[in-house]
Amino acid sequence: MSKSANVVLVIDDEPKIRRFLRAGFELNGFSVQEAENAADGLKAATFNSPDLIVLDLDLPDIHGGEILERIRSWSNVPIIILSVEASEEQKVRLLKLGADDYVVKPFGIAELLARSESALRRYFKSSTESSVVSAGPLSVDLVTRSVLLNGDQIRLTRKEYRLVHILATHVGLVVTHDQLLKEIWSGNQRDNIQYLRILVRKLRQKIETDPNDPRLLITESGVGYRLQSRLETSPTD
Amino acid sequence: MHARHFLSIYALQLLSALICVGLATAGLLLLDRLLPISLFPVVYLIPVVIAATRWGTGPAIVAALGGGAASDFLFFTPFYSFRMDDPQEVVDLLLFLFVALVSGHLASRLRSEKEALRKRETELQYLYEFSRRLAACFTIPDLISAIQNYLAQALGQQAAFFHAKTEANLETPPSDFVPREVEARVRSMIAKTGLPAYTIFDEATHSVWLLRAVHSEATVHGVIAVNIGSGSRAAIAARTSRVEIILEEASLTLQRLDIGKAMDDAKLQLQAQLLKDALHGMLSHELRSPLAAIQGSASVLGSASPVRADGRLHALTEAITDEVQRLDGFIQNLVNTARVTTNSVQPRLEWADPRDIVSAAVSSRSRRLAKHRIQMQFDDDLPLVNVDSTLVEESFGQLLDNAAKYSPSGSAISVGVRAGEAQVTLSVSDQGVGIARDEQGKLGQREFRSARHRETIAGSGLGFWIATTFIKANGGSIEVASHGEGKGTMASIVLPACWVDDSSLTALTYE
Repeated sequence: MSKSANVVLVIDDEPKIRRFLRAGFELNGFSVQEAENAADGLKAATFNSPDLIVLDLDLPDIHGGEILERIRSWSNVPIIILSVEASEEQKVRLLKLGADDYVVKPFGIAELLARSESALRRYFKSSTESSVVSAGPLSVDLVTRSVLLNGDQIRLTRKEYRLVHILATHVGLVVTHDQLLKEIWSGNQRDNIQYLRILVRKLRQKIETDPNDPRLLITESGVGYRLQSRLETSPTD
Repeated sequence: MHARHFLSIYALQLLSALICVGLATAGLLLLDRLLPISLFPVVYLIPVVIAATRWGTGPAIVAALGGGAASDFLFFTPFYSFRMDDPQEVVDLLLFLFVALVSGHLASRLRSEKEALRKRETELQYLYEFSRRLAACFTIPDLISAIQNYLAQALGQQAAFFHAKTEANLETPPSDFVPREVEARVRSMIAKTGLPAYTIFDEATHSVWLLRAVHSEATVHGVIAVNIGSGSRAAIAARTSRVEIILEEASLTLQRLDIGKAMDDAKLQLQAQLLKDALHGMLSHELRSPLAAIQGSASVLGSASPVRADGRLHALTEAITDEVQRLDGFIQNLVNTARVTTNSVQPRLEWADPRDIVSAAVSSRSRRLAKHRIQMQFDDDLPLVNVDSTLVEESFGQLLDNAAKYSPSGSAISVGVRAGEAQVTLSVSDQGVGIARDEQGKLGQREFRSARHRETIAGSGLGFWIATTFIKANGGSIEVASHGEGKGTMASIVLPACWVDDSSLTALTYE
């Protein structure tokens, strides 16, 4: 990312939030554009072609959800949603509308940077990078379908591999229950979340150091699962 | 006693009529001295009319006869004798008696009609007063006292109201004049609903008691017992119908009160809803936005290399983050409280792994639990639970907060999930201050805080109450056990479990 800085468009009506987002992104090598309302944001998204959009849900003129829909109608640019207290239903709806991830206020900059990098990696990877996704001690080769944990090959059932595969293609980002069920069980078990819970339990036994205290395959209550791109060393942001 | 009293009054009235005749005679004698008059009997009509209008027909007849006798004795020839010689005078006297009797009768009828009118007027006045009082009734007790007041005032009757309490019990009767038999019947009326009315004859006092249920459309509020006394069948029927009218009025008022209460409830609910919305908007946006700016800025500062290099500075940015999260937790509690008080907690049930719920709660509170040793113990084989996992996670987080708050830093907090046949228990045990015996019962109350820690440990007392409500909404319960003060506390969330046939799941997940 060093040769030409990624451009992030911040759409938020709070000047103080924009200020720290600018500082945080610029310190981490991004170039930042700001928009204080939806109209300016849509204009900037159209004409300045940013690499990433950070979109606040509660804007004074148009609701963030609608902006998301409008941008998604013509662009696949990664979009991270910021919101104060979003319900799980709302999060699922936003993800379905095409948001790459969400961050609930208040948050630390590290969390947002991690999500942003994951979203960017997913967006640009398809053509440029290798087929291997690594998440902490886990590495998944999407072409050869081999899964290594600390360098050792582990054996997964077909369904377990499907699960790892989907999570790995979204590494660092949340994937909804719906999406997982749809892609793993294409048949009539699609709505049955119990199967997913059991499958996750089994996969955790194979990839987590302590399956009772998962660090890699994280549960997002009421929304879905997330494969962490790196293991957190300390709880500090 | 009553009859004798009546007789003596009647005798007095007759005597008064005769006195009137005497007075008229004295006046006539005086007048006769001054100037000669011929139509004496006409003057005697005066006492007749007076007696009729004052005391009724009987005294009027007496006055007429007395007047006739006096004029015969004093003014018709021969004087001072009842004998009559002149046939013309006999005709005069008879004519006088006839006119006197007719006018006496007419006058007394006028009197009784006037009296009836006056009585009706006072009755109307009482009724008017009664309905005014009914209109001013805002509670059931108001209404009851209005009924009692009216019955006593207008009918002079004994009335007692038996309040039907929720458990179909009776309030202590308001006075002791109610016969035991009547009271027993009232009890049976309240126990069995749908018995509208009873009439009981009390042998001891020879009086008739009316028992009527006082009810609105939805509920029976009680039974009113009225002593309508004794008397002829017609009199009792008349009094009964009056009592019925009153009770009808009262039922209408009760219905009005019911509607009023429903409206009040609705208004209150609406206000709570508005407050919730206002609180929600205000807390979420006005408070959380600045918090977001503070935490975000602190995190950017903390990640900048000069600050990172200096441990003291870095610790400051971490302290800011901790305090922001604490404030955010308070805001979350207030938002949750508003949700609970407006009954807008609607769990979205979904099959979840209890391990996930617990580990998510622990990791979301990792900063607050950093000073304690966390030990996790999970049963190997755990069923899934069908709950709103965010609500349960929030509740479990509250229990973790309490454990961290009320136990010394450095001590262990053990977190566990155990499976029973029909339930799953998520528990948090600490080695902290414990719970005194007298505090146990108050734990689930909103804003309960132990007096022992009010001075030393910050908190609103809302957390445990919120947790209890959330878990109830998920069909579970919270149990708290402690061996006493200073001996640690174990708080558990008990949720109904569902063991799914493992083989079918294995088949579908194994491929």
